[in-house]
Amino acid sequence: MNRFIALLAPLCLGLGLTLPVLAQEDEFQTVITPAFSPVTWERLINAEDEPENWMMYSGTLDSQRYSRLDQIDKSNVAELEMKWSYQIPVIDRAETVPTVVDGIMFITEAPSNLTAVDARTGRVYWRYDHELPDDLRICCGRNNRGVAILGETLFMSTLDAHLVAIDARTGNVLWDTEVADYEAGYSKTAAPLIVKDKVVTGIAGGEFGIRGFIDAYDPATGELEWRTYAIPGPGEPGNDSWSGDSWKTGGAATWITGSYDPDLNLIYWGTGNPGPDWNGDVRLGDNLYSDSALALDGDTGEIAWHFQFTPHDVHDYDSIQVPILADIEYQGSTRKVMMWANRNAFFYTIDRATGEFLEGDAYASQTWAQGLDPTGRPIRVPGMAPTYEGILVSPPIVGATNWYSPGYSQQTGLFYVTSFDGEQEFFKRDEDYEEGERFTGGGGRYNQPMDAFHSSIRAINPATAQIEWEFPIMPRSSAGITTTAGGIVFTGSADGYFFALDAATGEELWHISLGARVHAAPMTYAVDGKQFVTIASGNVVYTFGLKDD
Amino acid sequence: MSSISIQIRYLLTVAISCLLFTVGTSTAEDAGNLYNTNFDINAGLKYFERQCSRCHGFDAKGNDETGAPDLTGRLSRASSDVGVFNIIRTGVPGTAMLPVAADLPDSQVWQLVAYIGSLSTDPANIDLPGSVVAGSRLFRNRGDCNSCHMIDGEGGRLGPDLSRVGERRNPEELLTDILDPHQEVAPRWWTMRVTDNEGVTREGLRMNEDSFSLRIMDAESNLWSYQKRQLASIERVEESTMPSYTQTLSDSDVDDLVAYLFSLRKEN
Repeated sequence: MNRFIALLAPLCLGLGLTLPVLAQEDEFQTVITPAFSPVTWERLINAEDEPENWMMYSGTLDSQRYSRLDQIDKSNVAELEMKWSYQIPVIDRAETVPTVVDGIMFITEAPSNLTAVDARTGRVYWRYDHELPDDLRICCGRNNRGVAILGETLFMSTLDAHLVAIDARTGNVLWDTEVADYEAGYSKTAAPLIVKDKVVTGIAGGEFGIRGFIDAYDPATGELEWRTYAIPGPGEPGNDSWSGDSWKTGGAATWITGSYDPDLNLIYWGTGNPGPDWNGDVRLGDNLYSDSALALDGDTGEIAWHFQFTPHDVHDYDSIQVPILADIEYQGSTRKVMMWANRNAFFYTIDRATGEFLEGDAYASQTWAQGLDPTGRPIRVPGMAPTYEGILVSPPIVGATNWYSPGYSQQTGLFYVTSFDGEQEFFKRDEDYEEGERFTGGGGRYNQPMDAFHSSIRAINPATAQIEWEFPIMPRSSAGITTTAGGIVFTGSADGYFFALDAATGEELWHISLGARVHAAPMTYAVDGKQFVTIASGNVVYTFGLKDD
Repeated sequence: MSSISIQIRYLLTVAISCLLFTVGTSTAEDAGNLYNTNFDINAGLKYFERQCSRCHGFDAKGNDETGAPDLTGRLSRASSDVGVFNIIRTGVPGTAMLPVAADLPDSQVWQLVAYIGSLSTDPANIDLPGSVVAGSRLFRNRGDCNSCHMIDGEGGRLGPDLSRVGERRNPEELLTDILDPHQEVAPRWWTMRVTDNEGVTREGLRMNEDSFSLRIMDAESNLWSYQKRQLASIERVEESTMPSYTQTLSDSDVDDLVAYLFSLRKEN
């Protein structure tokens, strides 16, 4: 807001008005015109330095979800009160992480809509409704997780596998590019990532026999700049890790947002399960680069290195987690690492310059692997692949964690993840690929009620891969995590709570019942010098702050 | 064990009809299901496992997380094959239930309808050996079931309301419920024993429990709500409070009780 007041002040003085008078007469005076400054690449690289804004899905390019804001801290977080709520008009599941730039908040809504509101009041500037066909092919619900912004343009994925550019001041469509054919099973739900002068984005559809990829688009025109397939084609290294033609329908979707290291000029992106999910008989081999972390050149998209968490996956253990980048002390020296709590129940610390495996261990219950070998490759327990009759395996299909964002605190040096200790009976089926049809080869079934399983927020030391503390919740949660310089871990739960934990100890500091499932990650921002924290619950976006003086 | 043998017969007389089902996005308005042989049901099962199980579950029992309903009992949005057909064909607006592909032939949609129909047990297709009248008497008198269970507003509160239990439990499941009540216990009927920070202990049925709080009903039907941080200890017993009737009821008693419980439906 300070930027805006600076712009507005000369105008007000010219009209013979003073800012305090305006503030008394009309509390909305500062938001008559959206007045944010254009979001340059420099601002995005240094996003950490303007913590009043939350300018991308994961807050900063390293995706730590750590905010330097400390007005709300351990001593006063229990005094938080609701400041406003925004009811999303389309009834569905809100998985959005809002973006805030200079007092304007951008909220994506199911199925593929976008609204701009005043970040202090939640009142609407404009709303964009994306027209969708009525025969979408989506696996797991109609949702959208957020936008990217560059300059004065917002970039949003849509369920019909388009990438849309929208004017941040008006909601007008600037361009609308078809990324892939939705009728072949492609869709898009994740927030894109700005890398320099490109819009980098992934694709969903891993349950439809797609071939996953990561794309970069020209933000001005929507033209495709490069595409890197997550499954190598014939003649490329790794193609021989697929039997026969199975690479063509091998999945490896890229359906969550990645991260970027400006110094190394590397983009980090996770890839999803190989297809068909639960029947590996038709795709023998390691199935590269499914269930992997890919490091891509920031200019060309060329693969610099890869790390496959689950070779030849037959349990749908997507590596669709947001990579968290940090420089940590490890065995006596500072290492540039990537931290990753995987759906397969193992936590990994990896050298992000080279892809070298440093540390790893199970952070949740699992029965499919004996452990990790010195290179980080899992040592499988024999006989745990799905059968026609069904076989009990942990973690279940939803995984020990999933797409929801983990967090990292620069104060504690700990990594935080929403985890689930569950098990499920896995089945396999024989299926032929048909374009646009599901291609999963099986499924799963719980044999116990959900309340019989254990869920928790876990804090992991990345230097040792060991759990430092855990906070039990119930039932299985899909809420992401945000940390702050106030020493707080903010997160939510499936039973409708939003709560704050002490980042160092896991002690509960505050909770409030919002009544509906939290299916998104919190974010924090400030306007006019006041810190707020926002979370979506059910169909509503809530914003909390401290009591006004 | 009981002598109950349950024969599920699909008395499916295929009516010759002049209705013609064409490929396309038609909406059924007035037709029974012509695609309901065992072959069709099996084809429907295959389609279901591939296209529907992600949300509704491999066992079609629904999924609270996705919001997909249980399809094995009474359906909340459709009461006939035609209604089910229309939902599959057009989806449910505003939910994750999308229509099937527009080019899916009606015959395949009907096969799916037949499979879903096969999951709920139509009482007209089932011969049960027990007596409904005798079972009703047993329930209220010697069996003393009504001291815990309510039917149509009469009875106790310490077990599930059974007024429409025949719509959600088939005879085999009812048999198991009576003879081995611990085998499948919904978390609502677990027992919680809690002690607060002042040392007061209370025990009751688990009305609800979440990350930060829990609510119980004690044996006198008192409702108690706690914040977990107020409690010094929380004990959870994931078993039913209902005894097994293996020793106390004869096989024919159990047959009668199953027949009675299975008859409990909205229309009755």
